[in-house]
Amino acid sequence: MTITLTVNGVSYTRDAAENKTLLHFLREDLGLTGTKEGCGMGECGACTVFLNGRTVNSCCVLAVEADGAVIETIEGEAGPAGLSEIQKAFDRNHAVQCGFCTPGMILSVKELLKAKPKPTVEEIKEAIEGNFCRCTGYEQIVEAVLDVTGRGSGKGRLDHV
Amino acid sequence: MVHEFQYRAPRARSELLAFLAEHGTSAKVLAGGTDLLPNIRMGIAKPAFVVDCKRLPDANRLVFSPSEGLRIGHGVTVSAILQDKTVRENYPLLAEAAHELASHQVRNRATVAGNVVNASPCSDMALPLLCLDAVAVLASAAGERTVGFREFFTGPKATVMKPGEFLAEIRVPPESAGRKGRYAKLKRVKGHDLGIVGVMLASAPDGLRAAVSSASPTPVLVTGIGAGLDAEAVNDLVQKAIKPIDDVRCTAEYRRFMVGAYIRRLLPEVAR
Repeated sequence: MTITLTVNGVSYTRDAAENKTLLHFLREDLGLTGTKEGCGMGECGACTVFLNGRTVNSCCVLAVEADGAVIETIEGEAGPAGLSEIQKAFDRNHAVQCGFCTPGMILSVKELLKAKPKPTVEEIKEAIEGNFCRCTGYEQIVEAVLDVTGRGSGKGRLDHV
Repeated sequence: MVHEFQYRAPRARSELLAFLAEHGTSAKVLAGGTDLLPNIRMGIAKPAFVVDCKRLPDANRLVFSPSEGLRIGHGVTVSAILQDKTVRENYPLLAEAAHELASHQVRNRATVAGNVVNASPCSDMALPLLCLDAVAVLASAAGERTVGFREFFTGPKATVMKPGEFLAEIRVPPESAGRKGRYAKLKRVKGHDLGIVGVMLASAPDGLRAAVSSASPTPVLVTGIGAGLDAEAVNDLVQKAIKPIDDVRCTAEYRRFMVGAYIRRLLPEVAR
């Protein structure tokens, strides 16, 4: 089936097998391999992407379901000026070890910050509950989010926690 | 995915119903896909046709009126329930359960209708729908019928739905608006996981209600619990209604124990 969708602001028209997941379509047909496949069952969150403004597990979406959709992946996160604020905070706080969970983790954090610019630690933990990290123990990831939101106020302190 | 199927996305309900009538059990309706697609991947489901119901015009309808109650279209996601102010104000039990269902990514995709059609004994959304006397509108090429959720579930992954039927809408009656309660769910990890056991206690005109998941072949509802009863008496009534099993996630004994623990924990909050 021929589908047309927008990924990171670029429109693509491609033939997609009807049983192909959006995840495999992004990786194999568009060459966007930043989105990872972990469990393939909607549990680990490594394949998280934005679909029409909301995060979804792209392993649980068919490519053909995304016909007409607007998709954002980790490849769209850094701008011409370099890494995004969330990416820089992950870097500063050692929130990346093997890096496999990071693309999904960053997009889940992005969705959280759209709704709650000043999340509490509990809200951060809840926002990333669908993203498994087997390296960091999560602490550095939570610290990275506090870092970026603390700086967002211009105070450079984490007094909103 | 290894299994090959044909995808259809009808734009009209009549088209979808005609397709289901023709193909029966070889066609599976696709809503959020968070259960169906992993099941196809694992080889548990092998449909010849996957019929996407999200392109129907009324899929995302979520409307409340004081005279008709709440209408939840078949494509309404669990996130949409959580974010709708009218739902949170009038049917807080729906939001209580929605909040415990899986992760953000799953809630953004999974539908309320899909959660009940899947009919897992651990269904989160079944509990508030039971406590609120909600009904399922089942459409087929032959017409429509409504079935209350108390009669809807017939066993693990089994419902009263016949081949060719489609859960078009869930209706929550206006009389149930304002019912309050609490939900507690035991999981292996804090964060998203399938429930080991879940208990919802809710107020209703006929007394307290208890709805329990993962403790019987279907979600269980106990009604008419006397307002003055203490936690032990409530627990006795609920224990008689459930029939837990030993499985990969825990033993029947532990499930019974945790049902009691949650009743003791939630009762003071609900009976207030």
